Amino acid sequence: MSIDTKFIGKTYPTHTYEVGKEKIKEYAKAIKNNDPHYLDDDFAKKSKYGKIIAPPTFAVVFGAHLIEPVFMDKELNLNMAMLVHGEQELEFFEVVKAGDAITTTAKISDIKNKEKLDVISLELNSKNQHGKDVSRGTYTFVVRK
Amino acid sequence: MKIEQGQTFTGIEKVDKYRALYYAGASGDYNPIHIDPDFGKMVGLNGTILQGLCTLAFAAKTVTDWAGDPGKLKKIKCRFSAPVMIEDTISVQGTVTEMQAGRARVDLSVVNQSGEEVLQKVEAEVEI
Repeated sequence: MSIDTKFIGKTYPTHTYEVGKEKIKEYAKAIKNNDPHYLDDDFAKKSKYGKIIAPPTFAVVFGAHLIEPVFMDKELNLNMAMLVHGEQELEFFEVVKAGDAITTTAKISDIKNKEKLDVISLELNSKNQHGKDVSRGTYTFVVRK
Repeated sequence: MKIEQGQTFTGIEKVDKYRALYYAGASGDYNPIHIDPDFGKMVGLNGTILQGLCTLAFAAKTVTDWAGDPGKLKKIKCRFSAPVMIEDTISVQGTVTEMQAGRARVDLSVVNQSGEEVLQKVEAEVEI
């Protein structure tokens, strides 16, 4: 069954994520990124950012908290067994620092019905505790029929 | 660092046996296709595959290592075109294709050890 295009524009509850310094370090090590901006407290203190910052792609860590409700959405009813991550786009604005509280909103930005598959795109917008934009992510998933 | 059109840079990452497990823990992506070899075989793969966003993070790292400042990366996008398997070696090459409005546009090639593109249409923008 095709994904109903009436869900384009549907929004999901906002989520606020507190960025932990140790979580940044765990993530940086997981992606094999040893940049001292993420791992070295002394280096980070002397850097222009003044503290540990998150790798740009850390946006998908706080973003994941918005993706899960879409996957679990009973009304949307995505066939998870047939779903794969097709494309990803990330834009970065203010750098994310340890201790930030990042609030993210999510909406379904597009649904395309094709012969053998559906394509669904989600747009996530994240701001920090100062109300400044930190990232925008577009997640595109392909669901085979 | 002076950035010029046509400039190239490279990065390389070996996907060690436990990489998908580390990434699962750090990112929360515990999809069984990434952590359970039996599940991978059941769905027709030769074991587990790495999370696509981990491969994208490798590509982003190549760009930020080159730029020297993670805050200069302003955009990155890709299409996930082929699964990355455990023990694969991922090679990234970036080329500055355009300089405009304070941004360098970089096209990236992200391939496995067979030369197969695991990500396609990989583009980044770096502040200059």
